[in-house]
This record gives sequence, C-alpha cells and structure tokens, in this order.
Amino acid sequence: MTVSPPAASHYLRLDPRAKLYLLLLANLVMFFHVSTRAEAVLVALVIVPLLTAGRVRMGVRLAVTYAVLLAIGLWAGAAVMDGVGTAGGEQTWVHVVGALCVGLRMMLPCFITGAYAFSTTSVSEFVCALRRMRVPESVVIPCMVVIRFFPTIIGDYRRIRDAMALRGLATGRWSLLRHPAQSLEFVLVPLLMNATMVSRDLSVAALTKGLGTRGVHTSMTEIRMRWFDWVAMVVCTIPLALGIGGVL
Amino acid sequence: MSAQLADKSTAGSRTHDELVLLRDCVFAYRQDAQGYGDADNAVHDQAAPLALNHDNLTVHSGEIVMLCGQSGCGKTTATRLLNGLIPGFYHGALSGSRTVCGLDGDTADISEYVPLVGSVFQNPKTQYFNADVTAELAFACENMGWQSARIRDRVAEVAHRFGIEPLLGRRVFTLSGGQQQRLAVAAATMLSPQLMVMDEPTSNLDAVAMRELHDMVAQLKAAGVTIVIAEHRLAWCADLVDRYVLFADGAIVAEYTASEFRALSDERLRELGLRALDLEPYRQRVAELAATAHDDTAESDRHSDIPKRSKINAQSQIPLIETHHLTVGYGRKHGQFGSWFSKRMQRGQRSAFSRTIPDLRLFPGQIVGLMGRNGAGKSTLVRTLCGLQKPLAGRILLHTEPARPSALTRAGFLVMQDVNYQLFSDSVREEVLLGLDSADEATREQADEVLRDLDLLQFADRHPMSLSGGQKQRLAIASALMSGKELIILDEPTSGLDRRHMMQVGALLRTLADSGKAVLVVTHDDELAALWCDSIVTLDDACSLRALDSDGDGQRWIV
Repeated sequence: MTVSPPAASHYLRLDPRAKLYLLLLANLVMFFHVSTRAEAVLVALVIVPLLTAGRVRMGVRLAVTYAVLLAIGLWAGAAVMDGVGTAGGEQTWVHVVGALCVGLRMMLPCFITGAYAFSTTSVSEFVCALRRMRVPESVVIPCMVVIRFFPTIIGDYRRIRDAMALRGLATGRWSLLRHPAQSLEFVLVPLLMNATMVSRDLSVAALTKGLGTRGVHTSMTEIRMRWFDWVAMVVCTIPLALGIGGVL
Repeated sequence: MSAQLADKSTAGSRTHDELVLLRDCVFAYRQDAQGYGDADNAVHDQAAPLALNHDNLTVHSGEIVMLCGQSGCGKTTATRLLNGLIPGFYHGALSGSRTVCGLDGDTADISEYVPLVGSVFQNPKTQYFNADVTAELAFACENMGWQSARIRDRVAEVAHRFGIEPLLGRRVFTLSGGQQQRLAVAAATMLSPQLMVMDEPTSNLDAVAMRELHDMVAQLKAAGVTIVIAEHRLAWCADLVDRYVLFADGAIVAEYTASEFRALSDERLRELGLRALDLEPYRQRVAELAATAHDDTAESDRHSDIPKRSKINAQSQIPLIETHHLTVGYGRKHGQFGSWFSKRMQRGQRSAFSRTIPDLRLFPGQIVGLMGRNGAGKSTLVRTLCGLQKPLAGRILLHTEPARPSALTRAGFLVMQDVNYQLFSDSVREEVLLGLDSADEATREQADEVLRDLDLLQFADRHPMSLSGGQKQRLAIASALMSGKELIILDEPTSGLDRRHMMQVGALLRTLADSGKAVLVVTHDDELAALWCDSIVTLDDACSLRALDSDGDGQRWIV
C-alpha cells in the first residue's frame, strides 16, 4: 500500500503556485482599480477552478453574491444619475447602499481567490509550493507554525470563555463589546501564557524531528505545473491586462 | 519493507552493546530555562538545585529501561540528555561524559541525534507539528531530505506496522489523546531510530489507550529497539520492562531487574513514592464502587463499612444535583476555522454526538468519580452539568428544582485539566477576589481564610503563573470556594502526578466534600478512584452510546 498523492483525486485542482498567482491577480485588479467589466470577467474566470475543484456550493454562493452586489451597485449608480438635482433623504440612502455594495464587490475577487486557495490546498502542498519557489526555511517554518496554531487558539479561546463563564466574568451577551479592554485582558492573559508553553513543547518536538537540521528539506507531497495551470494563469491575466490597457 | 527494518534488526547485533553511557553527569537548569524561576522547594516540581546529581547510567542495546521516581527526581532531565535536548535546548551547568548511540554528548549537535533517537513526550496535544496525520509522519523524513517516493513508502510501512492507516490524512487536531499519542510514537519511529525515549507518555491516556501504547512498545522491543521510559504509572508496561532505575533528588538511588522490582511489596513501592505495579486490586475496587452507584437504593448502607468514607453521606438525603433521562451532546461542530486549511472538510458532513446518561445523583459531602474512555462523553456531561451547554433532552434538578443552565453555572465550578486557562489575575489574592468587592473587609478576611485552608496564604502576593501545577489547581478551587460554588468538578486532576501528589489531591477532594461540597472527579486514574471516591459512574456502556464522529471521507469511528 502506498499513500496516494492528493493530486490523484478525480477533481481537477490547480497547482498551489497557480492558486497563489490567481490571488495575486485579484489583488492587482483591486489595486489598479480596473473597470467593472474586466473585474466581472475575472470573477467569472476564477469561479471556474472553484467549481472544478468540487466546491460547487461555495462557487455558486460566491457567484450569486457577486452578481447581487454588482446589480445593486449598477442600480444605485443609475438611480443617482437619474435623480441629479432632486435632492432628498432617499437619495443619500441610495448613495450609502450603492457605495457599500461597490466596496464589497471590489473586495470579492480577492476573497474568492483566497477562499479557493485555502479551501483546496493542504498545508503540505502549500509548504511544498513555498519550498519549490525557493522561499527560505526561515519563512516556511513560521508559516507552518502559524497554521499549526490556528486550531490551538480556537480551542484555547473556547476553554477560556468557559472558564470566564464559570467565574462570572463578562458573561452577558454583549459584555465583550461593553467592556472590550477588560475582556481582552481576561482572554489574552491565559491565551498567551498557554501559547508560551505550547510553543516550548512544539519547539522541542520539532527539534527532535530534525526541523533545525541544515541541508535540504524535501516534501512528501509532489506538486507539478501542468498545462491547465499555465492556461488558467494566462487566461486570467487577460482581463487584467485589457483592463489596465483600457480596452475592457 | 526493507532497508530500514533490516537496518534496525542488525543494529541489535552490532558490537556497540552499550547504547547509552552516562558517567558522573551533573546538571542544573538555568533558572529561566524552566519558565518561572524558583518556587518553593517543598512543593515545586522542578526546583531541585541539581536536576542530576552525579548520575551513572548504562543502557544496553535492545533493553527497555524504566526511569521512575517522584516528581522532580530527575528522570525527565535524564531523558533530555539522551535525545540531546540538554544541552541543545535546555541550558544550564552540565558536566560528566555522555555517549548516546555512539555520539559524544559534548561535541554532538542536537540535529545529529535526530536519525538515531526518537522522542515521545508527555502531552499529546503539543507534540505534533503538522495539521494532518500523514504530514506529521512524513515530517522527520522531509527534514532529513528524503525523496518523495521513499517518504511515501515509509509512511505506508509505519502506518501499517502500527495499524494507524485509518488515521492517515485526518486532521491531528480532531484525534483523541490516545490516537495522538500513537501517532507520536509512530512519527518518532519514522527514521528507524536505535533508541526511543519516552517522557511520561501515558499521563493523559485512558486504560484502552495505554493498552494500545503497550502493544506499540512491545512491537518496538521485538524489533530490537532500545527504549527508555520515564514514567509515574508503572503498571501499563510492567511485562515489558527489563530494568528499573530509581531516581531521588536528581540521583540514581537504586537499580532493579524486572524480577527484583516485581518482588518489591506494595508497601515498599509506596514508601518509594511510586505508583502501583499491579492495578488489579484498584480496578476491582473501582468496579465495586461502580456497581454500588448503579444500585442507588443501597448506596448509603454499603458505604458504612468502608473506612475513610465521609460521614456526611448518610446525613444529607437531598441531592445537590439530580439528572433525569439526560441526553447530552451537540448537533454539529461549532465554527471551525481550522477546517479552512483542510481539503477534507466537505459540506454536509457534520459531526454530531449524543449520549444518554444514566440518572445521576450528586450529594453534598460525597466524592463521585466519573470514568470511561476518552470520547465517551465525560467532558460533554461535565459541561452540561456546569450549564456551559444545554442538554439535548432530559432534566437537571438543582436542589430538587429544575434548573436552567445559568443557575447551574452559578452553582458549579470546573477545575480544568489545564488549569492555566482559568487564572486571570496577576496575584494570588486578586485571583480569589476577582469579581468580588475587594474593598470589603469581611470579604478580604474570608479570602485569607480560604487561602490559608488551601495552604496558599504564603503565596498571596505571588503571580499565579509562578506556582506549581498543584498550587494552581488549589488556587482555582479557592476561587470557586470564594464565589460560593456548591458543586466542584475536577477534570483529570491527577494526570502526570506521582503517588504522593495524587494522595494530596485525594485528601483535598475529601476536605472539599467534608466542607459540604459535592465533588465530581473525572479521572482515568484507578488509584485515585479506588482510594478516594465514594461512588463511581462509568460512561462506557456501548449500548447507550450513539456517538459518531465523521471527519474526512467517510471515516467514522465509534468510541
């Protein structure tokens, strides 16, 4: 029996490096403030890998959200245009909603590509990708530690909230909001105390497994850029290029 | 299968029969290396000035050696010499000569120990570095720069060898403590080490998980691997150990062969501060107590003939807490950010858990033990009894009145296994006054009294985190007493404790009960349960258990 590499699943998933590239593209789209049309095309394109990776429900939800935000934004824009000169309270309201929707919509491409990258990539693939991109171990290891700590912190937080409830500290529904500084202290002190101990144990465990050895560190997971990775990267670059060039 | 295994079997027959040679080793931790400085000598676990005091230790190839002794006796420190963590990670004044697997301790770098010595530590939750099981197994090989195909073969081979294939690909975070510890052992053997070093590997495990660990150790022994274990609990691997080394105050005071050690009487073991080698009498006692608990009409009669039981038992006829047809559990997992990082999180696969609890009655003045496997629903039940979560069905009566969760939270207190989560203040006195009117003279006096009763008054101005584990536990209890809690629940209060500290905890439970509190103690510790509990509730009946944990692609396990 051998452990089958994750790529053998029947879903089509891009290489982690291609995913990171898509994430970069989405950020550039926001950064360069490209036209709504280019942005919409890009969103349509990046939804596709999400669907092929088997995240149909997530893909559809994100697509619908984008469409709704886009529609509201366009409607609000049109409404404001129509009502030029007719000042009124209603128009301010339309303005606010419109601006909000446009703001959210512009962030969605980053969110979609981010959700895609994180929900379809295992940590080992991610680490392997970093190593293949020749990112130094001094960056790779902190990344691994951060990912390792997420579930720990969530578990710790729940236990601390239990302990606070038992002591009658910050119990009411809105107490965290009403006394933010005090609540933060109650949560943070045990959280940090515990994190120092966990980190010491983790360092010890990692050292005895050779994380500190010099020399090349390899990955069990193999990743490979295939033709569709390149196609996805090129195709998704087109709307950005056209958008920046002012064509779209 | 292959090269690595063959390699290992020949290792046993090689000429360097003495795998470990410690000669006249002396070590003292630098004070900051152990966290929080020097605590009171009498009570602090690690405060002995010399952690190792002129120790000589030889371990032969293929042997299993058990390092035993009371907390702070130096056995953990000795294991750290064997895997290079001293001086590689823990710093301090070190002298004496050390040879481990042919490495000279003075010149070898900690990374040279990696392929030769595998290490397993006490806490299953903090010794895995990767989010999923397969990656954790592969980790050491990746760090050694092995090629991908070779790592995959080795992962499959080790997983098969220890029967942990069903765990492959799962998130380590979702495994039980016992599964995590088996993973830790498997991961430590990935590089086919000649020597395995285990530092209190069972302190968080239940009986079944200890049995599984025993089988892994047996398998390693059969393959000729040399194993050094530092432990308080001696019973789980008594049939495998070849030699016992007894530490006291940093010095090796005695060595016994297995037969010599078995010949020691229980009294002698107790004098040495050691846990029992044979748990059978304790298990029988636990079974008796569990039987009486189910037969609740005869409850108070049966207790009358047993010494050391509380007198209050018979007096208080009104239970503090009573449950009726209680079902505890949860419908689905609460928000799990962690799953964002796992490709295995599939929509619609929710984890559900529900467990019907035999009707319970907790009386003031009584110590009730709650036992059962990891994952049998003990912590869910405890959370429900404390009002931290709602029962799925059934009723909980407090003082014979149906009680809402908020009322239960006011009446009950849970001393967590990891007590660090429940200490919030920067001095011991403030901790017990937290949430109370600290300006009030009567309150302050009461606080001092509670602290005095729990032997904490001398530390009143110290930071809670500078206390030892047992002191922190007592401080948490002190805070509960100050806020007038009637039900004190303790989760695994004796994990990782030697006999003396275990007995101290037992006496503390008795003190709490005698002061009129109802005490519920969740434990895997047969000795604590047999010696101190008035009755025992076991949550093991498979018939009433409807627990399903689904994670990943259809892998389900029923606990």
